[in-house]
Amino acid sequence: MFKNSINSLFLIALSGFCSSIISERAFAGGRSEPWQMWFQDAASPVMEKIIEFHNLIFVVEISIVVFVLCLMGYIILRFNAKANPEPSKTTHHTLLEVVWTAVPLLVLVVVALPSMKLLYYADKVVESEMTIKVTGNQWYWTYAYPDHGEIQFDSYMIEDKDLKEGQPRSLSVDNPVVLPSRTNIRLLFTSADVIHNWAVPSLGLKLDTVPGRINESWVHINKEGDYYGMCSELCGVRHGFMPVHIKAVPKKEFSAWVEKAKAQFSNISSGSETKVANLEKPFDKAATGILKDRKRK
Amino acid sequence: MMGTDRMLKILQRQNRNTLTAFFLFGIVLGMAGLAFSSAPLYKLFCQVTGFGGTPKTNVVRKAISKSAGVINVRFDANTNSDLPWVFKPEKQKVLVSLGEPKLAFYFAKNVGAKPVTGTASYNITPFKVAKYFSKIDCFCFVRQTLEPGKRIPMPVEFIVDPEILEDPDTAEVKTITVSYTFFPVVQNDRKKS
Amino acid sequence: MRVGQGVAMGNNHEVHPSGWRRWLYSTNHKDIGTMYIVLSLIAAILGGSMSGIIRLELMFPELQFIQDLQFYNVMVTGHAFLMVFFVVMPAMFGGFGNWFVPLMIGAPDMAFPRMNNISFWLLAAALILLLLSAFVQGGAGTGWTVYPPLSNADYHPGPAVDFGILSLHVAGASSILGAINFIVTILNMRAPGMTIHRMPLFVWSILVTAFLLLLAIPVLAGGLTMLLTDRNFGTTFFEVAGGGDPILWQHLFWFFGHPEVYIIIIPGFGIISQVISTFSKKPVFGYLGMAYAMVFIGVVGFVVWAHHMYTVGLDADSRAYFVGATLIIAVPTGVKIFSWLATMWGGSIEFPAPMMFACGFIFLFVVGGVTGVALANSGMDLAWHDTYFVVAHFHYVMAIAAVLAIFSGYYYWIGKMSGRQYPEKLAKIHFWLFFAGVNILFFPQHFLGMAGMPRRIPDYPDSYAGWNLVSSVGAFVAGIATLLFFFIIWKTFSSGGKVQSNQWGPGATTLEWTVDSPAPFHTHEELPVTNSHMPAE
Repeated sequence: MFKNSINSLFLIALSGFCSSIISERAFAGGRSEPWQMWFQDAASPVMEKIIEFHNLIFVVEISIVVFVLCLMGYIILRFNAKANPEPSKTTHHTLLEVVWTAVPLLVLVVVALPSMKLLYYADKVVESEMTIKVTGNQWYWTYAYPDHGEIQFDSYMIEDKDLKEGQPRSLSVDNPVVLPSRTNIRLLFTSADVIHNWAVPSLGLKLDTVPGRINESWVHINKEGDYYGMCSELCGVRHGFMPVHIKAVPKKEFSAWVEKAKAQFSNISSGSETKVANLEKPFDKAATGILKDRKRK
Repeated sequence: MMGTDRMLKILQRQNRNTLTAFFLFGIVLGMAGLAFSSAPLYKLFCQVTGFGGTPKTNVVRKAISKSAGVINVRFDANTNSDLPWVFKPEKQKVLVSLGEPKLAFYFAKNVGAKPVTGTASYNITPFKVAKYFSKIDCFCFVRQTLEPGKRIPMPVEFIVDPEILEDPDTAEVKTITVSYTFFPVVQNDRKKS
Repeated sequence: MRVGQGVAMGNNHEVHPSGWRRWLYSTNHKDIGTMYIVLSLIAAILGGSMSGIIRLELMFPELQFIQDLQFYNVMVTGHAFLMVFFVVMPAMFGGFGNWFVPLMIGAPDMAFPRMNNISFWLLAAALILLLLSAFVQGGAGTGWTVYPPLSNADYHPGPAVDFGILSLHVAGASSILGAINFIVTILNMRAPGMTIHRMPLFVWSILVTAFLLLLAIPVLAGGLTMLLTDRNFGTTFFEVAGGGDPILWQHLFWFFGHPEVYIIIIPGFGIISQVISTFSKKPVFGYLGMAYAMVFIGVVGFVVWAHHMYTVGLDADSRAYFVGATLIIAVPTGVKIFSWLATMWGGSIEFPAPMMFACGFIFLFVVGGVTGVALANSGMDLAWHDTYFVVAHFHYVMAIAAVLAIFSGYYYWIGKMSGRQYPEKLAKIHFWLFFAGVNILFFPQHFLGMAGMPRRIPDYPDSYAGWNLVSSVGAFVAGIATLLFFFIIWKTFSSGGKVQSNQWGPGATTLEWTVDSPAPFHTHEELPVTNSHMPAE
């Protein structure tokens, strides 16, 4: 197993380096690339703002680290016992102490103001054209479209052996959540069991799904494409195996999909009736909670 | 050799040490007490401030004036998988005049074979409007027991304070979502499963 | 038989129990300190092996050798618990604290020697309970955060989580007793002339840490008790179904958890201050600023907890407050870093192993510090929450930084504790190997986090393979360095030369350097009189 992995790793590494050499990258398609060191490409206004803000604080971070390192390097060279046999006795310098308290404060103000702007921007409530509801389950997501009839379906990860050509491993799901691009969408989050977290890095989305309450966010997907994410709150045995796959399509295509979905998911479309169908099961859930994993395999 | 003076001093110090230790232990007890009282305090805090989208429940009706504004209110329903109920809102959303009490309905049906008692948790989003959203009467205040096959309407009466438009934070909000989740009432013997 | 009193009073100093009685019944601060250090070494082997298992699993994409995924979560959880409660805290607070606080303030022993004994053995019991928790019925795979509902009886039905909770209760009781003991000792038992503003910074750091423990642990204990009754006695503090709220647990946990990270790192500040001052042959620059920076960090540490919960669904105003409060912490930490550099400035600096570790500490702490400032921003958490960026951040700023501080303190004081010289050349190799290892291990995790890889997952999308491999290689380098450290310990005790009472020369000005090496069983029976910051000079 290790050997296989090493082989594939070399290929991955090679292709990664090549693609990074070939001039500017094409849009990465809503997921990370081999050897990636930076954010995934932004595909929503919030993520664009996050990257913009990060560009600022990154400069601050690097300057501080470089400054301290240079200072320390200089001190080590200049004041080592060989270079400076007689130590000074200075233990105070009021002005200096005031300066190194005040300057960081100023830097923090420089960071805090745009930070607040970003915070409130991501939190604002936009006029949304439609709503989807995300429900976290151990270990899959349920998506509902309350504005489009009663479409509701579960989204499970595709096991490695069932993957088809072009489906990224451990990110692909059987039923991706289809959303219209260039549309303001309201997102509601809740959970049916433990706390999960629905996250899509390229869209700047990350919010807990908490049982017994809803959380709300919004998204505006700039371009069509596939966007991937993973559960981001430890939720039990298969926490690493409940990916998010958003398929963003033009509005027209979305309407067509809605019609199809109504038919496709009609047998389970009645929402909570689904749960009624497997009513006998839930009661032994407690006992088998952590063993579910094996059952699914 | 050790003089009695020094013995005395050490004894005094032992007393002082014990006193300090008791004082510190008092701090420990105090913090533990705070931790235990956090459960009711947190609930109270949420209700008073609307923290986490907790709507107001103890509204004084006359304090709210009418207004020309309207707002969308959406209804969301969840059922815990341990509860054999079908629980849904009558309508997905309604348009509400600000400052006017509004009555809306959910329906719940027991599709299981046994009578079951359920209880609901609730919150509203966006969180920041919770302080302007008041529930006057709601099924969520009481436990509901449903016989098998029985379907009952569950009314919610609420009112949205027109001041929501005055507050620059919340003026942008055009849609409020109200969400309920029904759980089976936790039995002390649930450990049997 | 008032053994404890006898020791504290300083009579019958020729007689002390020998054999197993000396350790089991010990009321001597040095023996208890030694036992804490030994316990932390044992826990380090366990916790380190767990991180080795994690890195082996993550070395390549796809599941490598772990088929039972619960086992992976148990490793993640166990690694955190062990490292936090049974490695770092016992080494610095229990170990170095017990050894050197009485020595540094000129006290004959701790204020309550027998309580000291109880503290230690409670911790040993807690360690056993924790191991039980990992090995019964699938173990506790909840993460060290133990968030309900995942940790409640529906999702972790076996006794594993209960054992974990009990373990933390017992460890917490141990810490509270220890904290009370340290506070009383430091407040009441300083030698004549050792005013509070003349105490060495290590003593200050232990004092601040003790107060943090005193205020934070009871809150954890309260939360844990509620969780325990939720699990076993049908209460519903954290269960929505019964009118509780799982988010309340997160508030309680992080009200404890954030001060806890300062409990881990602040004694490290103290050690680094002593080491830097000693080897620069200068008193600490800006002593008062240094002391009160720690106090300030401790106080503010109690009002920033929800920055661990930005994505749980908090309203924007609360988050804005927590962003502001968190950013403020950068100021006192900045003061500390600049004061360390200013202490070195103008000094005549020697670079034996402890000083190298101290310089390494500053580097790691600065890197982890600036990523902390970045993470404090709620907006950035939309990208970084629960990713490897967070893992890289906290390992840099508190975990590995704390370990470097422990190594620094170990080499600094082992001569005083054992009377023997550690092998300098090997210790320097240890530093370079370990320093390189942890940087190769944790720096690439920043990249993984930037690219969006979540924490606590046993398998990952193939695109994350490259940096994960690098990271795992770093883990092996760090692992080899740690084995070398154990070899160095053996070498020190088997063939280390004898050392003087003050092995570090004119820079070592604190009272522990005035007593013989190894420090005799009873010290400071005649209280030393102090009239400056540098009593030993």
